[in-house]
Amino acid sequence: MNEVKLTQLGIKDSRDLLNKKEISATELTKAYIQNIEESSKLNAFIEKTFDKALMQASKADKVIGTDSQKSLCGIPLGIKDLFCCKNVKTQAASDILENFIPPYESTVTQKLWNEQAIMLGKLNMDEFAMGSSNETSTYGPVINPWKSTGSHDPLTPGGSSGGSSAAVAANLCTGATGTDTGGSIRQPASFTGTVGLKPTYGRCSRWGIIAFASSFDQAGPITKNVTDSAIMLKAMSGFDPLDSTSAKIDVPDYEQELAKDIKGLRVGLAKEYSLQNGDSEANRKLEEAIKILKNMGAEIVEVSLPHTEFALPTYYVLAPAEASSNLARYDGVRYGHRAKLDTNDSILELYEKTRSEGFGTEVKRRILIGTYVLSSGYYDAYYKRAQKVRSLIKNDFDEVFKKVDIILTPTTPTSAFPLGSKGTQDPVEMYMNDIFTVPANLAGLPALSLPVGLDELGLPLGVQLIGNNWQEPLLLNTAFNLENTLGFENNPKKWWA
Amino acid sequence: MEIDTETVFKIARLSRIRIDEDESDDIQKDLNRIVEFVKKLGEIDIDGIDEFNFGKTNIEDMRKDSVTIYNNTNEILKNTRNKNQDFFTVPKIVE
Repeated sequence: MNEVKLTQLGIKDSRDLLNKKEISATELTKAYIQNIEESSKLNAFIEKTFDKALMQASKADKVIGTDSQKSLCGIPLGIKDLFCCKNVKTQAASDILENFIPPYESTVTQKLWNEQAIMLGKLNMDEFAMGSSNETSTYGPVINPWKSTGSHDPLTPGGSSGGSSAAVAANLCTGATGTDTGGSIRQPASFTGTVGLKPTYGRCSRWGIIAFASSFDQAGPITKNVTDSAIMLKAMSGFDPLDSTSAKIDVPDYEQELAKDIKGLRVGLAKEYSLQNGDSEANRKLEEAIKILKNMGAEIVEVSLPHTEFALPTYYVLAPAEASSNLARYDGVRYGHRAKLDTNDSILELYEKTRSEGFGTEVKRRILIGTYVLSSGYYDAYYKRAQKVRSLIKNDFDEVFKKVDIILTPTTPTSAFPLGSKGTQDPVEMYMNDIFTVPANLAGLPALSLPVGLDELGLPLGVQLIGNNWQEPLLLNTAFNLENTLGFENNPKKWWA
Repeated sequence: MEIDTETVFKIARLSRIRIDEDESDDIQKDLNRIVEFVKKLGEIDIDGIDEFNFGKTNIEDMRKDSVTIYNNTNEILKNTRNKNQDFFTVPKIVE
């Protein structure tokens, strides 16, 4: 089979061809390796594990068609650099984890290998997943495979899972893992024409995923289509005794439930999630999605989430607070970067110099603000208050889910923006990007971004579906029905090879 | 501005992050921008509202409080050059 076409297939179609023995896992893996080798301009893969991949592929080829074959047998994946992978350099795109080699494997990636998936390598991201444009990575930004019509300007692939979204859009892997603390799976998916799913908090184990904000962080898949998302989510999900917040709730067969009709589905539209420019292609695409859902027998219901305007300020108190605590462990003592010390330096200089040299500007900013809102005299005014507002935001969703089954919103305020164009003068400008995605993290709810078409600039646009807890099957089912009618094709012009 | 220069150095000390005099102005500006942004939370009435939680944890769902043996000290020590036998080394902390 033609290698260019082979790598356009995604998870389900590759699986089907592997099962029919029309291709081998080794052949498939080699095709992806070639694509990755040609993609250095995108800067998506920061650590390549090709020897490991070819060994896994060879093993996969031996079990395909036998009773030992598992659900992802022979499927080549990319892994966000936030996941610890045993004996593979893992740095969360930060200097402070310089040359860190984990002696253990994250639960989510271990589950993928147990299902016989193939690891192509580690994917670039914002440092410690703190960013919305991939520009805070120590490896430099990932470049979006998509470009505006008639322009050569490099665009952001979104963040923080920008390496994952770019790699999937550019056919460098069948699918990729991402993590989402405030939108880090859905916003990059929206910017690259891919499908990104943030599961319910507790669906995927966080063990072995480098922590940013523990009460928000969730792992999830970024894939070429909804079916692939269902397949990958199933493999990633499930209870883990090593993560006390992972849920003891059975994992459904998401793929089985995709094709159900959505007649009678109640879809909520929240006025607080409207786009500023009503007369835009983004708005027309949203209207089109609503029309499709109506035609399929869904009922559209106007709803209100009155505390939405407080979501971002709440997030930017709580997430940095948790980050300042989580990142306290990087002290230069046991692993990663250690500053060169002067003769008389004490342990305090070891900590301060190491952390000053090892963390980037945005990460330091968040540690400092997090320390501030937790510090004596400010805790009640900021942290405690934000925790209460978080309850109000969750209550808004609880009320709305009494009336509707699912909420439909835009994923992002705009399509992908040029690198270097946001947040250089004011960090808050960059934070505004997460305005539609952050509420689902605050409430712990599952949410999915689905590509719906291109805007005036020829760039992908996404819509977001938010569901109630554990309603991933309904999100995927609704997205699958929309996807079938929309017929979006992810085919950015290949300028990078 | 809520966060003055002295506060910047205080929280930097608490965070164990060294800040130089020449970068403190920019950091102070950025931190104040963020504080201004999150001050919106002050507009909201939170009387009688509980702090957020994900629900109750069932005691029977918790892991057994038992010893697990972790035998790969060498693997862990591979990540540092600053070691002596099975120990990490740091600057002298006791006079």
